Amino acid sequence: MTFSLILEQAFNGLQAGVTLFLVAAGLTLILGIMDFVFLAHGAQVMIGAYAATAISLATGSFYLGILGAIPVTFVCGYLLEFLIIRHLYRRDHMDQVLATFGLILFFNEMIRIGFGPAALFSDLPTSLSGFVEILPDVPYPTYRLAVIVVGLLLAIGIHLFVSRTKLGAMVRAGASNPDMTAALGINISILFRFIFATGACLAGIAGMALAPITAVQPGMGEPLLILSLVVIIIGGIGSVRGAFIAAILVGLVDTLGRVFLPAMLRLVMDQSAADGAGPALASMLVYILMAVVLVFRPTGLFPVKG
Amino acid sequence: MTHPARKPTLIRLFIDSVMAHRLLWALLGLFALFPIVTIIFDQPFWNDIAMRIMVLGMAAMGLNLALGYGGMVSFGHAAFIGIGAYSVGICDYYGLTNGWAHFAISMAVCAGLGLVIGILSLRTSGIYFIMITLAFAQMLFFLFVSLETFGGDDGMSIDRADFLMIDLYEPLRLYFLIWLVLVIVASFLMFIVHSRFGVTLRGIKSNEQRIEAMGLTPLHYKITAYVISAVICGIAGTLFANWQEYVSPDIMHWTRSGELMIIIILGGLGTVAGPLLGAIVFLLLEEFLPELLHLFAPAYAENWMIIFGPLLVVVVLFGRGGISGLITTYMPKKSDQQVRHD
Amino acid sequence: MKKIILTLIAAMAVSASPALSDTVKVGYMTTLSGGAGIIGTQMKNAVELALEHKGGKLGGKDAEIIFVDDQRKPDVAKQLANRLIKSDRVDVIAGVIWSNLLMAIHKPVTRADTLLISSNAGPSPLAGEECHENFFSLSWQNDQTPEAMGKYMQDSGVKSVYLIAPNYQAGKDMLVGFKRQYKGEIVGEVYTKLGQTDFQAELSALRAAAPPATMIFQPGGMGINFVKQWNQAGMDQVSKLHTVFSVDAVSLPALQDSALGTVSTQTWSPDLDNAINKKFVADYKARYGAYPSYYAAQAYDSIMAIDYAVGQSGSTKAADMRAVLAAGNIPTTRGPLKMNSNHFPIQNIYLREAVKDEDGVVTTKIISTVFTDHADSYAASCKF
Repeated sequence: MTFSLILEQAFNGLQAGVTLFLVAAGLTLILGIMDFVFLAHGAQVMIGAYAATAISLATGSFYLGILGAIPVTFVCGYLLEFLIIRHLYRRDHMDQVLATFGLILFFNEMIRIGFGPAALFSDLPTSLSGFVEILPDVPYPTYRLAVIVVGLLLAIGIHLFVSRTKLGAMVRAGASNPDMTAALGINISILFRFIFATGACLAGIAGMALAPITAVQPGMGEPLLILSLVVIIIGGIGSVRGAFIAAILVGLVDTLGRVFLPAMLRLVMDQSAADGAGPALASMLVYILMAVVLVFRPTGLFPVKG
Repeated sequence: MTHPARKPTLIRLFIDSVMAHRLLWALLGLFALFPIVTIIFDQPFWNDIAMRIMVLGMAAMGLNLALGYGGMVSFGHAAFIGIGAYSVGICDYYGLTNGWAHFAISMAVCAGLGLVIGILSLRTSGIYFIMITLAFAQMLFFLFVSLETFGGDDGMSIDRADFLMIDLYEPLRLYFLIWLVLVIVASFLMFIVHSRFGVTLRGIKSNEQRIEAMGLTPLHYKITAYVISAVICGIAGTLFANWQEYVSPDIMHWTRSGELMIIIILGGLGTVAGPLLGAIVFLLLEEFLPELLHLFAPAYAENWMIIFGPLLVVVVLFGRGGISGLITTYMPKKSDQQVRHD
Repeated sequence: MKKIILTLIAAMAVSASPALSDTVKVGYMTTLSGGAGIIGTQMKNAVELALEHKGGKLGGKDAEIIFVDDQRKPDVAKQLANRLIKSDRVDVIAGVIWSNLLMAIHKPVTRADTLLISSNAGPSPLAGEECHENFFSLSWQNDQTPEAMGKYMQDSGVKSVYLIAPNYQAGKDMLVGFKRQYKGEIVGEVYTKLGQTDFQAELSALRAAAPPATMIFQPGGMGINFVKQWNQAGMDQVSKLHTVFSVDAVSLPALQDSALGTVSTQTWSPDLDNAINKKFVADYKARYGAYPSYYAAQAYDSIMAIDYAVGQSGSTKAADMRAVLAAGNIPTTRGPLKMNSNHFPIQNIYLREAVKDEDGVVTTKIISTVFTDHADSYAASCKF
């Protein structure tokens, strides 16, 4: 357990966290501002991954895939909000859960019919398939480093947008008090549509980032959905800053827990017990973290609504 | 109908409950008579579908007490079904085959665990509550997956329990055991919903501060409702394990909790009969939608969920109060004074 | 009312034809919908191909195969099994991909004196204490394939190995089987989360440990993710990758070149040289445009077995069919298949490598035979 291994794992945790943030950012705004339980957010990740992969397979260029997929995911989110979601704002959470659950099934089957049930072939672009030595003798995949960089840039961009621009101010106002914001004359429905589409786009970008390194298959977004819900709860609904901190935290805990917990357990219990309990505990770790946070801070670490 | 000055006796309460829940009693009666249909058509496996519906409906009715009446959206109740099921499995593993013991243990463990999880979770509300109940359910799921002695995720086969010499392997014995328990649970729920406890609970759901202002402690009521719902799910789980003769952690996966919620919403939130109706529709859809697709569009038979998904959306958008709500809207009312409760 | 209408529709849709003695009815159960549907679809394709090769008849009698979708849920599987037995009155139930589903249905099916043939799942209880004479495996016992990998690595002098498997029953069984044969040093034994998609952290830890060999079991989508990321992290420079049940015709189309060079052990490979297999692979490729997986081959073999059992015994009664099957020598894509006393196959296990064929498609090719006529380790505890 050397320092360089710990650092490398920290980078892995950071990359996992940054990807989670992209998914959680949009969702926390949707949950916080529109008070809408949008379970089908994982499907947005899937749409982004499929769009990017399909376009890059057709054109032969990874970057064209990304460029093409961004508007596709934005439009998908926009249309979804316009056609279905906006009719559900007034419903209670249970109805929203049911409806968006139905949307998940629908999207998964559509992808299955359109692209088949097998995973698509996707690979790294040659320009990013090398290694960067973050420390001497520690080669780190260039692509993952790029994901970290892009993710952090996007996080800074979102932060600047939300805190420095007028539109961002409207978003913040909508997060802490939607009725007051509407009363101030701001077109809430257009604002909501824009937020929803942007959230979908961010989730799609997470999907595009994951496409070359994971299996592009129907239902690939669901594990991320659960994890991003955990992130949002820990961070506090409606808070993008909270989502960022919580995402990095969850990414680090999950990654470092997975690799170091069994070894740590071996210090206090015998080999076979540690080998049995370690992985089980590691998979529960994130949920335990969330439960602990909620017991002490029932509205998350950085609640927006006062 | 009731003389306003007369204090409601237990008998009066009971009769009022029965009259107000005509739909529920009709459904229970249908289930009692259903085996005749399976005999006429000589399709004994239809009893299996009916048993699954009764068990799932029972669990959904339990969850509905917390969710529909109490306003607590718990994403973790599948865990209690699982504990009820594993009570049978684990007892069986250690040689304890007495059915009464299984029920006792399952109810006790679910009550205890429900109390702990309820107290911890009810420190939060809204979406936070949904997520923390999900977290606890996931922890239990991963726990049982890692318990190798009890089969891990491969699960364990179990034999049906012994109940006072009744052989549950004889056809229809298990069916009527499940039916009997369903009637008991339904009656209990009907009773509770109309009692002072139930009325207070519904008051808490619609305006918690007002109930507090009356001097009551909403938290006590919510925890009690949560524990009761957990125990009912545990009972359902115990019966389920007997039917399936097998138990595995799949039964407590969070998607099964989601199914319970779908069943409740399909049938109608906040009514006692609703979840049972929802279970009927849900399981029959699951059974026959693929068959129907086979007949009309065989190439897409495996993609039946593409119809099921939008169907759910449509139900939410247009079906107010679920299917029992639809029935109530279109069924004639006895009189203006009598309010329908299912 | 609604119930009556629905049950009437059901009566029309699910018709039970009278059990004629010159028809063979088979209930074939797989997962056709949902995430793992690709596997069930391949098996269904193979079964239909097998029936076609046999001219629509099994053992000379008219055959009817009823496909059912278990949705990967044990309670649905149980209900379907009951339906197939009590309503459709099938003579044989075959298929079943997953161990937990098989555990859920095996008692009711075998108890009803219906033959149960597994096209894939092979949990150890069914090979040992909970065996039943009406159950036959046309695939393998879960431990056999990793045992072969263990033996291969032991015999080729691999000094130390790093093990990775998902943290569930099958994952643990795989590593137990591996360690039964491999006696070298185990540098690391890591259990990953079931359904995990990102293995970068495990790969970093592996790189730090720098073992000469790595053995993984990561079925389905997990395998695609792992091998892809292994390749992208340049791990081939660090360690040699050995796999069981992770690199096959289901994952190769998504992996393509990144899987080249990986070795695996398996009871079958598309290039197995016998007449039945050649015909199967060629026709499957021609019709479905891709190599069949071992799931498909085993599904094909299950139908071959039913055909053989009915043909040789001349009857569809369980007692007659099982006598034929128990005697072994069943014509399959693996050659004439021998049967052990616990009704699991005794078969060869091969070492395969992922290579490109003449058309540039990545597939597996047999390099050597690790075990000849290998039997599973649980037969002794099976008493009918």
